[in-house]
Amino acid sequence: MQIRYEIGIVDTRNVIKTLLDEYGLDFRDYALTSFKRRLEHIISLYALRDGEGLIAKLKNNKEFIDEFLYHIYPETSEMFRDPSFWRALRDEIIPELLKGSPTKPRIWIAAFDSGEELYSLAITLHELNLLDKVNIYCNILSEKNIVRITSGQLDPKDMEINEANYMRFNDKGKYSNYYQAEGGNIKFNVELIKDVKFVKQNSLIEENPGATKLIIFRNQAIYYNQTLTDKIIERFSNSLVPGGFLAVGVKETLNNSSLSNKFTLFNESERIYKRKSV
Amino acid sequence: MYKAVIIGGSAGSFQVITRILHSLSPDYPLPVLLCLHRLKHVRSGFVEALSIKSGIPIIEPNDKEQIKPGKAYLAPANYHMFVELGNKIALSTEDPVNHSRPSIDLSFITAAQVYREKLVGIILSGANRDGAYGLKKIKDLGGLAIVQDPNECQVRTMTEASLRMTPVDHVFTTNEIIRFLQKIKA
Repeated sequence: MQIRYEIGIVDTRNVIKTLLDEYGLDFRDYALTSFKRRLEHIISLYALRDGEGLIAKLKNNKEFIDEFLYHIYPETSEMFRDPSFWRALRDEIIPELLKGSPTKPRIWIAAFDSGEELYSLAITLHELNLLDKVNIYCNILSEKNIVRITSGQLDPKDMEINEANYMRFNDKGKYSNYYQAEGGNIKFNVELIKDVKFVKQNSLIEENPGATKLIIFRNQAIYYNQTLTDKIIERFSNSLVPGGFLAVGVKETLNNSSLSNKFTLFNESERIYKRKSV
Repeated sequence: MYKAVIIGGSAGSFQVITRILHSLSPDYPLPVLLCLHRLKHVRSGFVEALSIKSGIPIIEPNDKEQIKPGKAYLAPANYHMFVELGNKIALSTEDPVNHSRPSIDLSFITAAQVYREKLVGIILSGANRDGAYGLKKIKDLGGLAIVQDPNECQVRTMTEASLRMTPVDHVFTTNEIIRFLQKIKA
């Protein structure tokens, strides 16, 4: 990606106002710099000239909003990003989830661009023979993203990185078991995610699953300001069972959050928090 | 007079950065932002290596970390590092820019937008063009643009790309960069 267009702060605020007025979508508490970057990306992608062009397209094309939501989150994740996190999940967290659970423990991928996180989780569980022993719940912001993920389409340009990450996660495994190359495209084995529950939501502070044992929310709060992050963390803390786990990105912390007293740091280097019992 | 210094470097810049950091005293009046290309999957060790001889503390910031004078902030592995309004660090996992994450261009542009004429940008040795556009933004918004003398660089591609794109204020050797940084005031 190259930098092709830059949008000013006034135009950015006008786009945010349009999204709220026209669609009830509230982006006011997003981190400004990265949100600006995403608008620049969309403006370049659709050759919209400037902020005004984007606003005009948002107002006059109801189908465009799903495209907008598809692109507003960075397309960036890698499979098995931070392999040491996935090893910790496999070796320390997942065995804990299954202890003393009469029902299937629920895992919530609370992220809107979660294809790579979801497939990484599914592969991890599959390799432990535990895929049918848990319930996975996934929020998605755009229909287009649900279609992409449920049809197993991940970006082929990232495959070299994905495989290198996977090999750092499990050097005895075979990454190519999990996808097929079809022409220039990559299709992941959708069997891995056949039981996943997808829910389309407009924001993470809408209704959420209760009685969750693990929430994966890595590198998502970096796109929000502290106000919105606090609201989301409060939801998470209400959604998690006592002793449940919350994984944030390796460069994120709950220290700045008013909810930090609800959690203890379980694995410092991988930033996995544990909800306190009371 | 200035609010921050931002330095971008790639191949051949490690020793230069080490010398610069060594020359700064613990009461240095400005924050120093560092965007250096590094191996994305190696998370630890780099800060420690840079810290051995540094005169000021080096932090690999968490997201939303407040930027303070007298400290150096190193862009973490596999994240872009932005300067956010309110003088905070913001991290991002969006696509690489110029094949780089962290991207020097993105760190420089966002710092330029926040600090404007109160920013000093410095491009060091490197083997690609990342940072050239970012340095231009610093200059366009009134900041001061400095490039390491290509004749002194281990790899001169990055500095030459910057010089082609921007009429910079100074082309300095490492010693001149150090003398300059020791003199400037907050």
